[in-house]
Amino acid sequence: MNDMTRREAEITATAIKISARNAQVYYGDNHAIKDVDVDIHDRMVTAFIGPSGCGKSTFLRCLNRMNDTIPSCRVEGRITLDGEDIYDKRVDPVQLRAKVGMVFQKPNPFPKSIFDNVAYGPRIHGLTRSKAELDEVVETSLRRAALWKEVKDRLHQPGTGLSGGQQQRLCIARAIATSPEVLLMDEPCSALDPIATAQVEELIDELRAQFSVVIVTHSMQQAARVSQRTAFFHLGNLVEFGETTQIFTKPRDPRTESYITGRIG
Amino acid sequence: MTDTTAQTVPGKRSLLTLDDRTRRRNAAEARFRAYGLAAVTVALIALTLLLVSIFANGVSVFRQTTIAIPVTLDAKKLDKSGKLDPAVMAKVTTVGYAPLLTKGLQAAMEENGISDQGLKAKAIGALISQDAPAQLRDMVLADPTLVGQTISFEALASGRIDGYFKGRVTMDSAALDSNISPEQLALADALKDAGILHSRFNMGFITAPDASEQRPEAAGLGVAILGSLYMMIVVLVLSLPIGVAASIYLEEFAPKNRFTDLIEVNISNLAAVPSIVYGILGLAIFINFAGLPQSAPIVGGLVLTLMTLPRIIIPARAALKAVPPSIRDAALGVGASKMQSVFHHVLPLAAPGILTGMIIGLAQALGETAPLLLIGMVAFVREYPGAPPEGFFDPASALPVQVYNWTQRADPAFVERAGGAIIVLLIFLVTMNAAAILLRRRFERRW
Repeated sequence: MNDMTRREAEITATAIKISARNAQVYYGDNHAIKDVDVDIHDRMVTAFIGPSGCGKSTFLRCLNRMNDTIPSCRVEGRITLDGEDIYDKRVDPVQLRAKVGMVFQKPNPFPKSIFDNVAYGPRIHGLTRSKAELDEVVETSLRRAALWKEVKDRLHQPGTGLSGGQQQRLCIARAIATSPEVLLMDEPCSALDPIATAQVEELIDELRAQFSVVIVTHSMQQAARVSQRTAFFHLGNLVEFGETTQIFTKPRDPRTESYITGRIG
Repeated sequence: MTDTTAQTVPGKRSLLTLDDRTRRRNAAEARFRAYGLAAVTVALIALTLLLVSIFANGVSVFRQTTIAIPVTLDAKKLDKSGKLDPAVMAKVTTVGYAPLLTKGLQAAMEENGISDQGLKAKAIGALISQDAPAQLRDMVLADPTLVGQTISFEALASGRIDGYFKGRVTMDSAALDSNISPEQLALADALKDAGILHSRFNMGFITAPDASEQRPEAAGLGVAILGSLYMMIVVLVLSLPIGVAASIYLEEFAPKNRFTDLIEVNISNLAAVPSIVYGILGLAIFINFAGLPQSAPIVGGLVLTLMTLPRIIIPARAALKAVPPSIRDAALGVGASKMQSVFHHVLPLAAPGILTGMIIGLAQALGETAPLLLIGMVAFVREYPGAPPEGFFDPASALPVQVYNWTQRADPAFVERAGGAIIVLLIFLVTMNAAAILLRRRFERRW
């Protein structure tokens, strides 16, 4: 118990990166997310778990306003990044997404070369001034995504020619090439085999040193392995949110307990 | 053996015998395949018949009978001033040139010892096309120094003589024909044996303008090909940007509401509107209201653009829709704007589909006749349209309209011309469709 309070104190000491208060999401008349309050800490991995259709991906997509592309989708409540309301009228979602990168469930490299995939973000945001600088950004991004060794000799071959796990790491490299502050990952390993999954998980752990990472996952083992904090969603409600070890060992809510022991889901 | 096993386990069917249900299902499948095969066969037979009849009628047009005549260009008759003054020389009409050709032909016959079959000079001259004196005159006016010389001139043979060597005219039909006699045909045979009359590739069919009823042998597609080309340029320049921009807007940017639904429904409806309606629209708006000239490729191009646009927008939208949404998400996810995601990623992926739709739309426009009839492109045009951009406003014809025109004429030689024009049109269409397939293969990318 003493140990627990010490760690909790440590957590609250780190800055809060994203904070959601009373967040509601509607798809037309369907109330998909109800009264969610979440604080995402900087330089920490936060996992969203819950049964299918519970709204965890929907909520994740609210954090970089990817839901804007769905015409019937409506978000209410207050979601802030570094204290600034991201749904403020003055916020351009394009600028927001440069700060909050995203990796999707299915690897979706552009049908271009590996180099162009990674270089796309820096190019459109004008982050580099010279070709040499761009080369460097591409190399560091690929290195951090643990892909450099495998692709350094074929940077100009299509990214779609890589294996599934490599494609997903390429997508991660593409997302971190723009130096975002937060990285959102929507079930990044669901299409990968166990070896590729292990590589990506290792990568997530390394990324924690620089980014705040939010990961949606179906696998509770994965949440337990990679995250420091876990949020459990059920039927659009945030049931429980706390330290990962606490959620998996001493869940406060009976629904959380049922889910992690396999009784609902 | 199988029977005994089947009997030993009552109620259990052997895999080696077919039950009724399976047999019925297999029969239904076999019947369906037979229907499909029959349908394809009928279609193939129809296509073969069509092509055979077009080629049987039309392919002979690419060879044309000509007569090599040594013509003495008599200075006394052609240049009365003696100073090679073009204004004076231009006063000599084609009537002045025709006797020179006849004389030249008679001289060639004499030299080769060919009997005149008892024909008078006028009847011998009738072997030569009425267009030949005009061509000779153009040649002399273009180069006045030819006057006084004896030149070898390849004169077109008349349509009947040409028809005789292509099997359209026979000795029997000539006996009943006031335009030609069996003696003239016999003379033509003799000329052919002497090597004076021969058959050559018919370049004039591709380059020459249309010709009147009396001289089918001189009629060509030059004006029609130019007119069609000009119209296609107008259609391409207008419908590609408008069509692509409209489809991108509707597919990627437009909000989904009643107004855009209405636009969508109307685009589909417009694609189904009969083409002649566009002709009436063009006549009312472009000619009567806007005051553009009749028979001009610009008007034809505008009308065909209106007709083609919905037929381009529909496949272009389908191509955009077929780009997986994950690509859009990926682009938006790294902070691309909507427009960047469309122009950097979605459009390049949809380009092969858009191009294919574009080329098929153009091919349809190239073969369209009905709207052009209404805006005056059916007129008899012998003058080539000028160079662009003024040429867009000059009268011209169009390939399909030329086919329609020639099928209306009395002389059977025009049937052959129409067949030939269809072949030329088909060659253009097949080339365009092949280009569409090649482009699709070339740019198709997997994701």
